[in-house]
Amino acid sequence: METLGYLGQGFGVATTPLNLLTALCGTLIGTVVGLLPGLGPINGVALLIPIAFALGLPPETSLILLAAVYLGCEYGGRISSILLNIPGEASAVMTAMDGHPLARQGKGGIALSISAGGSFMGGLIATIGVTIFAPLLAKWAVAFGPAEYFVMMVFAITCLAGMAGNKPMKTAVASLIGLLLACVGIDSNSGVYRFTFGSLGLADGIQFVVLVLGLFSISEILVLLERTYYGQSALKTSGRMLFNMKEAMFVKWTVLRSGVVGFFMGILPGAGATMASAVAYMSEKRMATKDNRFGDGDLRGLAAPETANSAAACGSMVPMLTLGVPGSGTTAVMLGALTLYNITPGPLLFQTDPQLVWGLIASLFIANVMLVVMNIPLIRVFTKILAVPYWALVPGIAIVTAIGVYGVHATTFDLFLMIGIGVMGYILRKFDFPLSAVLLGFILGGIMEQNLRRALSISNGDLSILWSSPITWGGWALVALMVVLPMYRGWRQRQVARPANP
Amino acid sequence: MIYQRLFLTALLIVYAVLAYAATTYEAAFSYEPVGPRAFPLLLLALLAVSTVYLIIRPGQMAEENADTPLTGHVLGRLVLCVLALSLFAFFFEKLGFVVAAFLFAIAMCRLYNGGWVTSVITGAVMSLAFYVLFDRLLDVPLPLGVLSGLGV
Repeated sequence: METLGYLGQGFGVATTPLNLLTALCGTLIGTVVGLLPGLGPINGVALLIPIAFALGLPPETSLILLAAVYLGCEYGGRISSILLNIPGEASAVMTAMDGHPLARQGKGGIALSISAGGSFMGGLIATIGVTIFAPLLAKWAVAFGPAEYFVMMVFAITCLAGMAGNKPMKTAVASLIGLLLACVGIDSNSGVYRFTFGSLGLADGIQFVVLVLGLFSISEILVLLERTYYGQSALKTSGRMLFNMKEAMFVKWTVLRSGVVGFFMGILPGAGATMASAVAYMSEKRMATKDNRFGDGDLRGLAAPETANSAAACGSMVPMLTLGVPGSGTTAVMLGALTLYNITPGPLLFQTDPQLVWGLIASLFIANVMLVVMNIPLIRVFTKILAVPYWALVPGIAIVTAIGVYGVHATTFDLFLMIGIGVMGYILRKFDFPLSAVLLGFILGGIMEQNLRRALSISNGDLSILWSSPITWGGWALVALMVVLPMYRGWRQRQVARPANP
Repeated sequence: MIYQRLFLTALLIVYAVLAYAATTYEAAFSYEPVGPRAFPLLLLALLAVSTVYLIIRPGQMAEENADTPLTGHVLGRLVLCVLALSLFAFFFEKLGFVVAAFLFAIAMCRLYNGGWVTSVITGAVMSLAFYVLFDRLLDVPLPLGVLSGLGV
């Protein structure tokens, strides 16, 4: 009941003209960014942070903007997957599996509308989930001390690696690199300069915006350069644009299941939308017993990943708001944006900044409705944007990136640092290290070290404080599970492979 | 595979240098049992262990990388792109935003297969539009550089 009151208050915040307009702009920008091949929610949100800051938006408004862009990107990503067979971002890869065959069969319009419907339902289910679970988790998380927080962070990092599928070790290395990058600069406890090597520009650490734009904008520009040869044209959407009742009924249960799966995958730190869409797709494929046409244009195969990735995008707000631990690369960027406003996300946020939290949750509802309303009639306009050539797109991205970085400190040192980080990010990407893990590590690094040192100060250096409460036991058990999971998965794969080739 | 192992070995050397640097971090006076060097050293140790593991068992590469092989041609363009970015950063304050962005946009446009005429037009439009948008409308101060004498 109390929750409903807060939610009402949140709608009050979200429906102010400024915030409504922001949500509308955010969803539009997000859809466009999401559908541009190669650009995903991280790029979109990262590029907008400096702009939101420059506009002087209040914190809740800029958070609404970023959340709307995030949701919009998840919507937009599906358009290029379905019509071009080029996923705009990793979480839309699964959408292309069944979406593109549908478009080739001339059912592009139906595919687009059913996936918009799926995204809407996923977002709705997950937003309801956020409304129910976030306050509960926040209430519970208030009992967290520094030791519990530290264990939580260790869990987030191992979860990231454990859920990473085929490359747990590379994910672990990437997140450790991120943690290490967070150590650069003056150590706030002792005043010692760490890893600055005498450079003044590094004295107060690597700026968050510099790291994000280097990793995701500069490295993306370099990757796009490799792909300039591609000139595939989009399939035309003809015929019926809207799905009918029969089709909606056909995917009803798939949508509901995938929405719930997506939400819970979104809550897990580090799992995020990409994992959620893959898990939903795979489990639906296994469950479909009669007329299974997965991979060949099955509506369920399209609805499942689309529902799940939108649900996960909303779900990942839960750990960000309640624990200050981001659930995905994009929420890591949003968390960084909050710290720019001097707001520390965590359980107390629900008490200290209710208008921010509930305004955000309410605007998730609103953005979702806007997206589904906007996406069905505007689909033809959006498909036009797919034709923007790289020679116009990339210089624009590069210049906005440079302005964003220069705007932080007005030094060219940051520009060079960003280029260096970008080249490093590009190399890591080429060797298949996930960059979002580096970012997550960077965000968690500072808090993790602070909490470890605080915990050990309380216990006067006695390490046993790290496993002295039931919460920490639970945390370590989860960590152990996440370490064992990839090993078990590898073992099972070998077991399956053995009888196949004796 | 060989490039990956070389890269990982290079990383190991970097860790060693950083670890050497980290051992010298000592707080002049301290109120807490954990000093500034414990956490970085712990991370470096974990990194070293996992990197050695990857050198022994590098695992498979993703398919994404398989279809865009790095030919000499592409590599040359990548170097040019990084060079263009660096020059842009170098001249950002010296020439001022408008001029630097104009030249940079032309270079980038050409790199991404734009024609000469379109590149010059794109460069001019973008440099002026972004300057007005950010400096005038959004209050992000951008350096005017050589154009500062024009009194705009």
